[in-house]
Amino acid sequence: MSKVKNLFRPAEYFKPTSVEEAVKLLAQYGEKGSPIAGGTDVLAMKNPGTEALIDITGLGLNYIESDSQGLRIGATTTLADIEISPILSKGPYNIIAQAAHEVGTPLIRNLGTIGGNLCNASPSADTAPVLLALGAKLKLVSTGKSREVPLDEFFVGPFRTVKGHDELLTEIVLPPLTLRTGTSYQWLTKITTIDETLVSVAIMVAMDDKGEVIKDAKIALISVAPTPMRARQAEEMLRGKEVRDRLVEEVARVVADETSPRSRPDYRRQMSAVLAERVLKEAISRAVSNIQSGGVPW
Amino acid sequence: MINIRLNVNNEDYQAEVAAYHTLRDVLRDKLGFTDVKNGCSEGECGSCAVLVDGKPVTSCLMLAAQAQGKRITTARGLATDGKLHPLQEKFIEYEAVQCGYCTPGMLLVAKALLDKNPNPTEEEVRTAISGNICRCTGYQQIVEAILAAAAETNM
Repeated sequence: MSKVKNLFRPAEYFKPTSVEEAVKLLAQYGEKGSPIAGGTDVLAMKNPGTEALIDITGLGLNYIESDSQGLRIGATTTLADIEISPILSKGPYNIIAQAAHEVGTPLIRNLGTIGGNLCNASPSADTAPVLLALGAKLKLVSTGKSREVPLDEFFVGPFRTVKGHDELLTEIVLPPLTLRTGTSYQWLTKITTIDETLVSVAIMVAMDDKGEVIKDAKIALISVAPTPMRARQAEEMLRGKEVRDRLVEEVARVVADETSPRSRPDYRRQMSAVLAERVLKEAISRAVSNIQSGGVPW
Repeated sequence: MINIRLNVNNEDYQAEVAAYHTLRDVLRDKLGFTDVKNGCSEGECGSCAVLVDGKPVTSCLMLAAQAQGKRITTARGLATDGKLHPLQEKFIEYEAVQCGYCTPGMLLVAKALLDKNPNPTEEEVRTAISGNICRCTGYQQIVEAILAAAAETNM
């Protein structure tokens, strides 16, 4: 470890004041340039190939906005700000605040950003499963170009994404929710609360008007595959189905079968099923109660 | 090298830093604030904690260059005119200091907590210090000292 630390010696520091300036620098330095926001991953990873640090905290990308078009979170919004945001404090979006709370420690969360958590692309990135379950898209900007990548296409391997070296993640975009939506999120940790997540599951369920048929479901997990993942076969088992006895248990087993954990695989698979069952039950119940209370957000 | 100006404990300082120097590097090694400790350098132990605009952060994971224009508080900055802060007094009274290595970080995190939440529950205190590791005390005395400081300030 100390050898790597001594090799981390970027010579340049920039603090661009516009996204245009930032992406120009990113294009200029390519893989030798690193965007830095909170620094909690960049300065912990200490990549010896980094020659330029491009500070992106001065670009105004620190916001959380919600309207009829959906939810938009600026990429450099800190995890602490997400934890305490009134917009995320209740309702189906609350799982985003819950997941942000699980990252690192209170000190790290005062610096670390949601964009950084996603771009670092750890297989156990805590904010990934809740955003996957909510159907998030990422806005990636480069000089003269901009694209929206669905989060479920963003991760390609451990610590690797489709983001080019010349691209900047500016915003996380979530589609608007229907009134009949319920979400839930649970996690297990290795030993202490500040350890890496052992497995976590986030699920979104959207039901029909009567609360009897599941119209859509998204099931996401971390720490059980090379990247944050969606359990697509399990989701298929739910779409268009009535909620009946045993459905949840069967779906939870399929979720576990879809995982491919590298270490402690048996335990992680078992716990995937356990959490998936609990989370699915709660998401369905929240979706139903949302209807029964006349569509008032819980 | 970059020439930066930092405001630490209400005084202005200048330093020449490299792009890669962390706030911890400049505070401890260049400006002599040895109350900012060198622990894990990975943000896990909290011994390097300082307040940046009142919020506790791990200074080992923040660039020195990023600290420009911000108000930084180290543990030294808690005492005013030679008088100890109530937290410091209670840490002594409740024997919350053994080797002392976690202490500056604990004090600053506690100060930030009490500034935001003057009457925390024990659970809120324990959550607030969950990013600061202590190898000596078992945390009990630290928690009691913080609660006592809160109680005294609210009297």
